[in-house]
Amino acid sequence: MRALAVVLAAIWLIPLAWALDTALKPESETTRIPVSWFADGMSLDAFGRVFADGDVLAWLGNSLLVGIAVTALTVAVTSLAAYGLSRTWFRGRSVVLALLIAGILVPPQVLIVPLFAEMVGLGLADTYWALILPQVVLPAMVYVLKKFFDGVPRELEEAAVVDGAGRLRVYWSLMLPLARPALAAVAIFTFVTTWNNFLWPFVAVSDPHLMTFPVGLATVQSSYGVRYAQVLAAALLGGLPLVALFLAFQRQLVTAIKG
Amino acid sequence: MKRSGFWFVAPFLVLYVAFLIVPMVIGLGASVTDDGITGHARFVGAANYVELFGDPAVWSSLWHTLIFTVTSTPVIVLVGLGMALLANRMAPERWLYRLAFFAPYLLPVSVVVLIWNWLYQPGFGLINDALTRLGLHEVGWLSTDGMAMTSIVITTVWWTAGFGFLLYLAALQEIPRQLYEASALDGATPFQQLRRITLPLLSRTHQLVIVLQVLASLKVFDQIYLLSGQGGIPGVRSIVQYIYESGFTRFRIGYASAISYVFFALIAVVALVHFRLVKR
Amino acid sequence: MNRRTFLLAGAALAATTGSACSGSAGLEYWNLFGGGDGSRMTEMVGAIGTRLDAVTLAWGTPYYTKLAMAAAGGRAPDLAILHLSRMPGFAPLGLLDPFDGDLLAAHGLTSDRFPEAVWSRARHNGRTYAVPLDTHPLVLFYNTELCGKAGLLENGRLKPIRGPEQLLDAFGKAGLALAAARDVNPWRLFWTLYRQQNGEGPLDDAKALTALRLLAKVGATTRFTDNNAAVALFGSGQAGFFWNGEWELPTFQEQHMPFDVAPFPQVYERPAVHADSHAFVLPHQRNRDPQRTERTVAAIAELIENSLTWARGGHIPAYQPVATSPAYLKLLPQANYRSEAAEVELDPAVWFAGAASDLQSAAGATIGSVLGGTMSPEGALDALKATLVRLQNTPRPS
Repeated sequence: MRALAVVLAAIWLIPLAWALDTALKPESETTRIPVSWFADGMSLDAFGRVFADGDVLAWLGNSLLVGIAVTALTVAVTSLAAYGLSRTWFRGRSVVLALLIAGILVPPQVLIVPLFAEMVGLGLADTYWALILPQVVLPAMVYVLKKFFDGVPRELEEAAVVDGAGRLRVYWSLMLPLARPALAAVAIFTFVTTWNNFLWPFVAVSDPHLMTFPVGLATVQSSYGVRYAQVLAAALLGGLPLVALFLAFQRQLVTAIKG
Repeated sequence: MKRSGFWFVAPFLVLYVAFLIVPMVIGLGASVTDDGITGHARFVGAANYVELFGDPAVWSSLWHTLIFTVTSTPVIVLVGLGMALLANRMAPERWLYRLAFFAPYLLPVSVVVLIWNWLYQPGFGLINDALTRLGLHEVGWLSTDGMAMTSIVITTVWWTAGFGFLLYLAALQEIPRQLYEASALDGATPFQQLRRITLPLLSRTHQLVIVLQVLASLKVFDQIYLLSGQGGIPGVRSIVQYIYESGFTRFRIGYASAISYVFFALIAVVALVHFRLVKR
Repeated sequence: MNRRTFLLAGAALAATTGSACSGSAGLEYWNLFGGGDGSRMTEMVGAIGTRLDAVTLAWGTPYYTKLAMAAAGGRAPDLAILHLSRMPGFAPLGLLDPFDGDLLAAHGLTSDRFPEAVWSRARHNGRTYAVPLDTHPLVLFYNTELCGKAGLLENGRLKPIRGPEQLLDAFGKAGLALAAARDVNPWRLFWTLYRQQNGEGPLDDAKALTALRLLAKVGATTRFTDNNAAVALFGSGQAGFFWNGEWELPTFQEQHMPFDVAPFPQVYERPAVHADSHAFVLPHQRNRDPQRTERTVAAIAELIENSLTWARGGHIPAYQPVATSPAYLKLLPQANYRSEAAEVELDPAVWFAGAASDLQSAAGATIGSVLGGTMSPEGALDALKATLVRLQNTPRPS
C-alpha cells in the first residue's frame, strides 16, 4: 500500500520537479537530447531574468490587486445580503431568494460575450473595473452565509436589540465576529477562485499592463524566441504563492474548499 | 426597522443586476440581432438560432465537450478516491500526500498547460524521452485529434484530481473507527471493509464529486484552448471555446450570444435532472 | 472614474508589489513577431528615436482576437502590426483608425514610395489605413549541391523553370520538401498557381482544377510532412528544393548549408506569387490624442527607414528608398528574389480571408490532402467550393 502511495505521489510531483529542473538549466541545455536531469551550469539565472524583465511581477501585482479587491467586496456585500435575508423581512425578499438560486445556476461562461459587450458599452473594457466588478457576483456565497446566520440562535441577537442596538450594529459587532470561520471560508474560496480565474480576465482586458498572472503568462510572448528555462521559471514563480499559502494554512484552506 | 432589511441586500443586488441580469438581457437581445464586435446591430429574428442548429461546428464542439466529460470524469473521481484511500492510511506523512496531490489544483491553468506542453514535446519532452528509453516509439501527444484529447484529459486529471481527493479524504476521516474495529473482529478482510463500509458511507461524497466534476467539464475552456496552441485544434474544440471564437475571433456577438443561450439551457437541464435525482 | 483614479485607490496595494504602473511615457506597440523576426524588430525599435513599448503576443488567431477586442474596447495600443490580408476584416468594422494623408506625406510616407500591389490593399473607402513594412512572398529554396548534380544549374544559379513539366521534372530530379500537413502552405501554393492563370474569385472551376491537378502531381514527388519536418529534410540535404515563404531564410543561413533562393517559378500565363505584407496600423482608440498619433507616424517612418535590418530576415522592404538602395541590392540571397515584389498576390480581399483566417486554415487542410494523396483534385474542388459557400453565407460581422 505504502509503495503504491509513494509511486502515485511521485507521478504527481514529477511534472513540477521537471519544470523546476528545466528552470534551473542554462537555456542551451533545455532542449538537449537525450534528456538529463543534470546539466552543467545549473543556476537561478532564469529566475533572475524573470525578475529583471518585470512583466511577471506586474501581472502578479495585478492578480493581487484584483484578488484582494474582489475578496473584500465579496465578503462585504455577501455578508450584508446574507444577514438581511436571514434576519429581516422586506417586500420582495422571496423574489431575491429565488433570484439567488437562479443565479447559482448561471454558468459564468455563458455571460462572457454579453458581458464584454456591456463593458464596451460602459467604456470599461480594458480597466481594472472590468476585471473586478463582474467577479464579485457570487450568489452561492450569499447562500452559504445565509445558512450560517440561520443557524445562529435568535436569542443572542434579541438581547442586543433590547439593549438598543440598531440592525447595522448587530450585524457589525455581533454577527460578523460570530461568523468569522464562515467568512474566512468565503474569503479564501473567493481569493483562490479569483487568483486562478482565467476566462473572464482573459476576455475583460487586452492591455498587457492590466493582465492578471494567468492571462499574461498565456498571452504575452517573449520577442527573443522561446526560452524554456525562463518561461518555466516564470510559471513556477507565479504558481508558487498559492501553494506556499496552502502549506501555511492547510487546515483553513481545506475547510474553505469543502464549503 | 423591518424595512431596513432591504438596504442590507441592496449593494449585492445592485451588482447582481448590473453584472448578471443585465448581461443576460443583453445576451438575449443580441441573440436575435447580427450584432458585431463594434456594436451595429440589426434585428434578424431567429436567424442565429436557425443557423446554429445547422452549424456542424456547434454539434462537433458539443460532441467534443461530451467526450471530454465522459472520459475525464470517471478517471478524476477514481483517482481522487484512490488517492484519499491511500493517504488516509498513511498517518505520519499524510501532509506530504496532501501537498503532492492537491498542489496542482492550486496552480493557475496557464502554469499547468506550460508544464504539460513541455512534458509533451517531441524529442526533448520528458514523456517521449522515457518512451524512447523503453524502446517504444515517440507519441505525437498534441499532433492528432485523438491524441490531443487524450493529452488534454491526462493534463486535466493531474490538475484537478486533488479536488476530489480532498473531499474524499475529509469524508473518510469522518467514518468512525469503531465500524472497522467491529468488522475486523468479525473477520472481515480490508477489501471487504472497503466494499461494505467505506464505499457505501462515501455515497454522498461520490454524488457531490461527480456532479461538480460533470458540471465543470461541460464548461471546459481553459486547458483545451491553451493546449491547442495558436492555430487551435478544431478536433478538440469545446462548446465554450466555440462561443469564445464566434464572439471574439469572428466578431459575431449576436451569434455567440445565441449559442450561449442554447448552452445555458443544456446546463440548466443537467442541473435540474440532478435536483430531481437528489430529491428521490 | 478611470483607471488612474482607481490606481490611486489601490495605490497602497500596488506599492507593495511595485507594479501595475500604466500610462508609460512610450508609445504602446503590439506585434506578433517571435524568433528571429522578434529580435530584429527589437533591434529596430531600439535604434529609433521615438520610444516604443513593444509587446509581442502569440502569432495568428490569438493576436488578431486580442487586437480586435482592444480596438472594440476603445483602449487599443497606439501602434500595431497587421497583415494587409486582414484589412478587409478590420477596417470596415471600424477597428482601425485611418491615417491623415498630410501627416503621412509630411513623414515621406507616400504612395509613390511603395509597391502599387500592396499600397492599394492598404486603402479602404478612399483612405489609408496601413503603412506596409514589407512583402513576404513564397520563394523556391534550392540546395546548390543537389541541384548541381541533377544538372539543374547554370553558372551556379538555378536554370529558369517554366511550365508544369519543367517544374515536375526539376522536383523529380532533386527532390522536394514542403509543408503539407497542418499548414497554410498548400493554400498559398494553390492561390499562386490559380492567380498565375488569372483565376478570379470566387472560384473558376477549370483553373482551380488545373492548379489542384498539378499539386497532386507535385505531392507525388515528395513526402507528406509538416513544416518542421520539411525544414529538417531540406536543411539536412535530403531534398533539393524547399517550397515555402522567404521567412525560412534565416533558419537555413544558420545551418551554413549550400543553398540559394530563386523567385517562385512561372508555371502558367503570368508571373504571380502568393504573399502577404506586414503593415503598421492605428488600432481604433475612443479618445485619440493627435500629438500621440503624430509621434506614432514619426515612429513608423523611422522604423520603415530602418527596414534594411528587417530585410535580413528575408522579407522584401516595402519602402522603395530602402528596397532600391545599394545596401539592399548587395544583400544576398535576398536581392535574388526582389523582383517578386511586383508580382505579389495577397489573399482575396474578403473579410473571411487573410493570415490565420478561417479560409486559410480550411483551404490549407483541403489542399494539403491533395498533396498527401488522400483527396482527389475533383473532391478538393468540391470541398473548396463548399468552404467558400459556407464562408460567404456567414453573415458578415458589423
